[in-house]
Amino acid sequence: MHVELVNQPGNTAAKVSLRPGEVCTAESGAMLAMSSNMQITTTTHKKQRGSLLKAAKRLLGGESLFLNHFEPLNTPGEVWLGTDLAGDMLVMPLDNDNLIVQGGSFLACDEGIEVDLGWQGFKSILSGESIFWLKLKGKGTAVLSSFGAIYPIEVDGDYIVDTGHIVAFSETLQFSITKAGKSWLQSILGGEGMVCKFTGRGTVWCQSHNEGSFGSLLGPNLKAGSKR
Amino acid sequence: MNNTTIDIVLTGELAEGISFEQACGTIEKLFKLSTEQAKNLLETAPRVIKRGLDSETAEKYRQTIEKNGLKVVLKSDSDAAISKPIATPEAAVPATTVAVAEVSPPVSFKQEPPASTSIAPVQSVAATDFAGLKFRIDGSPDFGFVTVDLPRGQMLKVEASAMATMDTNLVMKTKMKGGISRMLSGENLFINEFTAENGPGEIGIAPATPGDLIHRYMRGETLYLQSGAFVASTPGINIETKWQGFTKGFFSGESLFLIRASGEGDLWLNSYGAIIEIDVKDGYVVDTGNIVAFTEGLEYSISKVGGYKSLFFSGEGFVCRFKGEGKLWIQTRSVGAFASWAKQYRPAKE
Repeated sequence: MHVELVNQPGNTAAKVSLRPGEVCTAESGAMLAMSSNMQITTTTHKKQRGSLLKAAKRLLGGESLFLNHFEPLNTPGEVWLGTDLAGDMLVMPLDNDNLIVQGGSFLACDEGIEVDLGWQGFKSILSGESIFWLKLKGKGTAVLSSFGAIYPIEVDGDYIVDTGHIVAFSETLQFSITKAGKSWLQSILGGEGMVCKFTGRGTVWCQSHNEGSFGSLLGPNLKAGSKR
Repeated sequence: MNNTTIDIVLTGELAEGISFEQACGTIEKLFKLSTEQAKNLLETAPRVIKRGLDSETAEKYRQTIEKNGLKVVLKSDSDAAISKPIATPEAAVPATTVAVAEVSPPVSFKQEPPASTSIAPVQSVAATDFAGLKFRIDGSPDFGFVTVDLPRGQMLKVEASAMATMDTNLVMKTKMKGGISRMLSGENLFINEFTAENGPGEIGIAPATPGDLIHRYMRGETLYLQSGAFVASTPGINIETKWQGFTKGFFSGESLFLIRASGEGDLWLNSYGAIIEIDVKDGYVVDTGNIVAFTEGLEYSISKVGGYKSLFFSGEGFVCRFKGEGKLWIQTRSVGAFASWAKQYRPAKE
């Protein structure tokens, strides 16, 4: 699987080239276009292994219940993937290092990577992110998407990231929920509320924008009950 | 002063042992173009790449280029008269826009000559027909915005409400184009006509969606546009709406109409998100919400993406299957997908 990103960072699309026999697993609804020899199967989990439990868990993870598997027949093929919102993407080669990905940020991966659900404890309910996180493990390539630009932060010790801005982080990091200011009152009035504090050594990938903030800005402008 | 001026024409032929990719790389470096532009340049060869040089400079250029494995032909003053009309619009386009290659004459797939043999026919076509306007596209691909220079008396058709700025020399008239069917196509019923009545002037056009803007100089070919992709055109382009048929239109989730653009002149298209151009050789599948435009040579049908399970659960639903050979433009974002994302934040009905 070869991934090429075009039109970064605002209108990013990923061009995934596949040789016969290679399979690309993508988030449902992400396909923009594909060559006509591409076969698409929809399962609840890994190809050939649909598990409803895992699918249900993934639904809670903010991902759709289903994943699409693209496989070219006989000749090489290509798939274009995109997102709903404006933003960047990141191609992440994994070599048996585990990555925790925020539910909505997973876009695609090859057959070498297993997508599983990681429970981060009750603190993640407060984090403003999805309750569940996806755990990517194995050897291969994964593609992540974001709302806005993506920037990596190397953490050695402690680091604080506002909730809603996390795309992914290495499993070597621990995170906890804490207040942004000195007192809770200050934190809430300051508009930051709670923040995520990472401890350990590893990388956190952050997104410049926050879906929730944009959505709540947009919401009041959308008329209730009107068509489209 | 030497008064014979010489043009350098890139023939598109490659020296032995030079691959297409290598040649692209060379062009990229020599002319400081992007990979895409370089590729486009080579694909649309023969192309005039330098104009109005004296024989000495031209010879220098020829040596440098040929050293890098590309073949060029030097053309002297006499032929240059023919190619002059092309010079104006081409020069007007800054190298940054994607449109650079689009403006040039041989881009039309119908008239594409065999690369090596005939340079002259292409240019004579250009000489008689080419009347492209000067324009500039800024902010591509995120926030495409086009500024067109209108000479006195020239008229430009612009999608209603897309005009952002204009010279006071311009006078606007609103015309109904395509009548009722255009209203149904989801496109504004009205196309505004801007005429430079009181003298030359410029007009700035900003489409409704943040995204890319592309230009095509049409030469009698026909292009089908997704309703909403039309931005502006010169009067020579005929804009009609075309009924897709109930099955195609209804299941596509898009509107029941496509816009059919044909004729000769400039045409500008826009998208939501960036535009990706795809050369279709035998077939291609596109999500119905991501089509911008396609050439007439392509036949399409609406079908489900995989089995019935995929139809309901893949999140893709129906797709457009293209068959045949031609060009296809897709956009990287879809208005429908964005709207359904935004829906979750809509306040509940009171």
